[in-house]
Amino acid sequence: MTQRLIERRIRWSGRLTAAGLIVQMLTLLATHPLAFICFAMVGCPLVGAGILVFLYSLVEHQAV
Amino acid sequence: MGGTTTILIFFTAMVALLGLITSMRPEFTAARGGKIMAFVALCILPVLSVWAGFHEQVERSTSTQFCLSCHVMSSFGKSLTVDDKSFIPAAHFQNNFVPRDHACFTCHTDYTMFGDYKAKWRGVHHVIVQYFGKIPKPEDIKLYTPYNNRECLHCHAGARSYEEASSHHKTPDMLAKAASNQLSCTSSGCHDIVHNVGDLGDATFWTPKADPQ
Repeated sequence: MTQRLIERRIRWSGRLTAAGLIVQMLTLLATHPLAFICFAMVGCPLVGAGILVFLYSLVEHQAV
Repeated sequence: MGGTTTILIFFTAMVALLGLITSMRPEFTAARGGKIMAFVALCILPVLSVWAGFHEQVERSTSTQFCLSCHVMSSFGKSLTVDDKSFIPAAHFQNNFVPRDHACFTCHTDYTMFGDYKAKWRGVHHVIVQYFGKIPKPEDIKLYTPYNNRECLHCHAGARSYEEASSHHKTPDMLAKAASNQLSCTSSGCHDIVHNVGDLGDATFWTPKADPQ
């Protein structure tokens, strides 16, 4: 049960991180203020959320 | 697109792919090696990638192309090529006194410990106004604070053309007053033609010659 929960969280973490990194990759294709805004307001929060979900899954797994 | 950007895009793509692979096969993390791999793929590499991407984005935000990509700044960009050397930005841009690809940032950053960050913060504010606020007319755009001589003297201080110019010795303490910002370079009736975007209607413009290489 706990193993399934951690796997589900890791699955979400991977998706969020990959989505953020894809946004970041696309913003690097253009030198434009909109690209900067997308990087800062979409890409970074997505990657940050992915990392936090992953770390949370580790911490909670240790606690159980 | 430069080599560094290509490498960064490739690196980001690889990290994203690794993240996707980990998300598709999370059962690997049951083993010790899988846990280490997941930590690298979902924590270490994404942090590195974001850090590198942030550095690249910040570097790009200092480029003239970036500043002039907002429509409201186009008049200020035109003022760099006006065929009149009394326009301070035009004289600096056309004579390579500032790097052309970072012309705006070179003069509009603060040369203090956190000056670059302050300039970036102002830039973020401008981007927000561009997309979510009311955009002013170009001629209504003013500096937040009077232009500080420190930014001029960052390059000109110590230069012979600055120190020995007769116009800089009209009074014995002129250079000292300029150094202490008591006498403004740009608003004391000396170098007071700056962008003057409202006066560009009748102006003629200089076109840079194509690079011979």
